[in-house]
Amino acid sequence: MMADRRRINGPPGGTRPAVFASNSQSGTGATTRAQRQRQPSELRKIFLKTGLIPTASGSSYLEFEPSASLAAARANPKSLIPPSSALKLACTVHGPKPLPRSAAFSPNLVLTTHVKYAPFAARRRKGHIRDSSERDLGVHLETALRGAIIAERWPKSGLDITITILEAEDDRWWGDAPDSHDASWGMMNVLAGCITAASAAIADAHIDCLDLVAGGVAALVSDESAGSSAAPKLMLDTDPAEHRSILSACVVGYMPARDEITELWLKGDSSKASLEDGDKRTGHEALIDGAVDAARGAHTVLAEAVRESLLSAVGQL
Amino acid sequence: MSNQRQASSASQVPHLSPAELSYLYTSLSLPKSSIRPDGRSPTQFRPLTAETNILPGTNGSARVGFADGTQAIVGVKAEVEKTVLSNETVDARSEFGISEDRGEQEGSAAVGGHGSWVQMSIEIPGFRDDDALPVFLSEMMRESLVGAVGSAEASDMTGGLKGRLVINKRWHWRLYIDVLLLSQPLSYPLPLLSLTTHLALLSTKLPKLKSQGEEDPFFDDDWAVAEYLYPRVSLSSAKHSARSPFVRPPVTLLVISVGENIIFDPNREEIAVADAVLAISITRDSEAGNLKLLSIRTVDPPSRLTQPGIPNSENVNMLGAVASTEDVAVLNPATGEEEVPGVWRPRRGGVKRSVIAEMVKTVLKKGGVGEEVLEGLEGVEVS
Repeated sequence: MMADRRRINGPPGGTRPAVFASNSQSGTGATTRAQRQRQPSELRKIFLKTGLIPTASGSSYLEFEPSASLAAARANPKSLIPPSSALKLACTVHGPKPLPRSAAFSPNLVLTTHVKYAPFAARRRKGHIRDSSERDLGVHLETALRGAIIAERWPKSGLDITITILEAEDDRWWGDAPDSHDASWGMMNVLAGCITAASAAIADAHIDCLDLVAGGVAALVSDESAGSSAAPKLMLDTDPAEHRSILSACVVGYMPARDEITELWLKGDSSKASLEDGDKRTGHEALIDGAVDAARGAHTVLAEAVRESLLSAVGQL
Repeated sequence: MSNQRQASSASQVPHLSPAELSYLYTSLSLPKSSIRPDGRSPTQFRPLTAETNILPGTNGSARVGFADGTQAIVGVKAEVEKTVLSNETVDARSEFGISEDRGEQEGSAAVGGHGSWVQMSIEIPGFRDDDALPVFLSEMMRESLVGAVGSAEASDMTGGLKGRLVINKRWHWRLYIDVLLLSQPLSYPLPLLSLTTHLALLSTKLPKLKSQGEEDPFFDDDWAVAEYLYPRVSLSSAKHSARSPFVRPPVTLLVISVGENIIFDPNREEIAVADAVLAISITRDSEAGNLKLLSIRTVDPPSRLTQPGIPNSENVNMLGAVASTEDVAVLNPATGEEEVPGVWRPRRGGVKRSVIAEMVKTVLKKGGVGEEVLEGLEGVEVS
């Protein structure tokens, strides 16, 4: 007897598993939106450690504290989908090393930065070839670091900084559909993390800098849950998954010793900020100041991590 | 080529000697009255020629040429595209937040538009299209373009450009903005490309929609009745004129600080000695009528990559020829570094917050540079 050997193909468009509205309504843990538990000016804890990769001349690993809802979901999982994500990234520094013979003469240290998301870093898979947002991040990082490195001490040399993002921040809460305020807000947190981690790795590679550059993020957030007429508020170190809509955000690379900004990236509408009475600053100034405050916070962690790595290096000798 | 790519974020480093750089810096940083090499005032732009609608195959196009010979062409093409919707529970999804790995293209995107509907590519001679400079420039211009969200009451332009691209729940326009720099980038090409893109978008027309509501879109084939992507002030009907709900495409201005001076539209030599370079995107606020800040980005100043000059006291060839008292390092108040006057040092460090605030204020204030630029662009005949 002849069996029917014809292959039955699936539908060409692909299918998605059915999710029933009643299901997602009743489930409490997974589908309730993550809420910010921190004070507006309270930062997430940062884990930063240098010297984890022995073959590189300098390296660091950075991790943001998972938000309260993520920690709760991990301890008591109700859904397969994590409510938010926390940044994890590794940075390696190779160099200073001589430039290849083919390269033109340079009186300064030539800095190259690569930022790459691991394919599994975000909710949507990233390809192995760097896309435009990753290249964009690389340029931002380069700008932030080049201001701090004393480049003329290494003529004819190159320095490669490679950052691998193992877990990225979300751009919005995963359950939200994008609205008119959608933008890659998560990228700004990632950049702040990249800056902090890269300066730790550069310090670990013993390259002369003016100061340790720390990254910080501040954002103007309007939470409709607080009332429809709520004016946007300034928050430091925002996790985009915890907010309904972010109006504008700012990331800085900041050197506290000189009170200087090496990298500034601000986007969005900052004109409607509601500040405290008597605050004469405009929205964007308040945003920049907020981001600088966040960077100061990150700088304390950064300085502590570098001191730790130095002490352990001294201890080994 | 490799050298070019390294210096990509700030265009090429010009081949100026340390003495020339120092001379330029000194004249540009003169307190209150900077002297620019081409005699412009600090807020003056380079003279340019502009024309629009030069490419018949596009929905809108523009060409801008600076007097130094750099030219850019921008073509805007629009395509109708189906908005990807998986099933009919659009409203349910946005309310209950159903898991979607392709959620980006769905849900309220059908109402509010999505940033990925605007695609921008920049072609600069001598650069590959995945080099840092073109990518950085296109991300910078795209982010302010899709970030400009109009006021809620403005009828057609709710949600800014993104909202305008929505035809109905199932269909939308996709906009391709292709920027072509025709000449070698003599200076940092941002002002040129931004002005050209602005003009091209102003002249962009979309065919008039004949179908209604949720029907499949069907357009009037008479190009003469096509509607502007950014509605014109003159065409907006009289009842709207009181509120004048017009949204304009954003403009990105390149601003540098040298010493305590703030200088607009720097040419190649001026940007080479800048302490800080900022790209500031602005647009007209459709409600208040004044200017609105859309984004700020720092650009890596090429002055960090220049070659340092050597003071006579450290120069072996000049040993004994000068008294050591002749060049004494003084503190440069703008950078906070010790410098011998007349001897160039590459810039280090970043920019003070007060300088950034001052730069933004100069752009945004009433009657300031931003308004001047937008008015000038408005004056270009869009035929």
